Amino acid sequence: MDEVLSVSDFLRLANEVLRLNIQNGAFAIEGEISGYSVKDGKWIIFSLKDEVDEKSKLKCFATVYKVAGSFEDGMRVRVWGGPSIKPWSDFQLDVQRMEPVGEGALKRAYELLKLKLEQEGIFALARKRSIPKFPDRIGLITSSDAAAYGDFLRILNNRWSGVKVIHADVRVQGKDAVDHIISAFDYFNGLGETDRPDVIVLTRGGGSLEDLHAFNDERVVRAVYGSSIPVVCGVGHERDESLCDYAADVRASTPSNAAERIVPDRRDVEYTIKMMVERVGDTLHRRLDDRGQVIQTAERVMAHFLEGRKREADNVIQRLLLQTNSWILSIRQRIDSEERLLRNVDPTRILSRGYSIVKSGTKVIKDAKTLAAGDEITVQFARGTVDAEVK
Amino acid sequence: MAPKKEVNFAKAFEELEQITEWFERDGADLDEGLKKFERGLELAKFCKEKLSEVENKVETIKKKFVG
Repeated sequence: MDEVLSVSDFLRLANEVLRLNIQNGAFAIEGEISGYSVKDGKWIIFSLKDEVDEKSKLKCFATVYKVAGSFEDGMRVRVWGGPSIKPWSDFQLDVQRMEPVGEGALKRAYELLKLKLEQEGIFALARKRSIPKFPDRIGLITSSDAAAYGDFLRILNNRWSGVKVIHADVRVQGKDAVDHIISAFDYFNGLGETDRPDVIVLTRGGGSLEDLHAFNDERVVRAVYGSSIPVVCGVGHERDESLCDYAADVRASTPSNAAERIVPDRRDVEYTIKMMVERVGDTLHRRLDDRGQVIQTAERVMAHFLEGRKREADNVIQRLLLQTNSWILSIRQRIDSEERLLRNVDPTRILSRGYSIVKSGTKVIKDAKTLAAGDEITVQFARGTVDAEVK
Repeated sequence: MAPKKEVNFAKAFEELEQITEWFERDGADLDEGLKKFERGLELAKFCKEKLSEVENKVETIKKKFVG
């Protein structure tokens, strides 16, 4: 007897068969996107069209958490996922991973994502941090197989020393690259203060847009953007660019250039140190010389001043001596003339000319009438005296 | 006073730069200047010694990123 199943039981059985026979992600299905739409900013719904048979369509469902990047109608993609039949819908693919295919689609996806991240401010120059001038520890994210690894270390060693490079050996292309790079960023940012690198370098050699896909992956770009340690990104040759370059704090053109951007050249620094010491020494000597000059000048000024004072004092003394001399002279002259005058009035000088002085007692007689006969008088001559009696 | 062990190149270089700047800007105080000059010479010596270290060390993280 035929087994009777409910619709939901049958769908459950069919899904079980599908799950067992077509493993999740076992195939990559390639086609062209049509009817692409994002609902509520979370759910991605589109159909994958077949190139050969236009009528063949595969309904696809994805979430923005699983599928990062930007897609649009007409873009060729490869999708990985598991098929299922939904009770409310048709046969569909639950997309786990989706990638653009071919240069055209890759380029378009790249442009769309670039625009989106730009608008979000992920590439804003204002948020770029400066990297330390002399880093002690460098976190290096690249593959040890890549030429970039050797190039970076060679230039680093040529320029600078005493640095510890902590290398996270990751795939830089292929399907694991994105997860590796993200977990390397997580690792470095999760380290404690003492082990943490001062700067992270994300680098690889050049390649096609397909080779560089990990460096243009939205999740990796966000890991670069979200790193609390400054990031230097150097990809490929001079002309290659990646979205990680734009999100990084410093964009280096090549792996070698990344080393150049991170550490200074030993010779330049040696020269700078030499110049600084010389400059400081020169300035100090000049200051000391200036001091010497000041002291010498002060000495000269003092000497000059003292000289002036001395001259002034000499002048004063000279003038004083001169004054004193003329004063003494005038005094002497006055004394001389007084003396002469005195000598002129000296009565004894008159007596020497034959005059006599008549005295009565001590009184000098100037009038004969004052005398009477019999008065005793004294007559003084120039030499000697006589006593006489008036008759 | 020699630079302490934990003082790294960056700090020593920065201090040397500051001393140079001080001399360029004012540096009128001779006593201070002499002290700073001495310190500058120590720092320069320390930096030169650091520069003569030959090697960079590379350590690959044990945790496997490559699967």
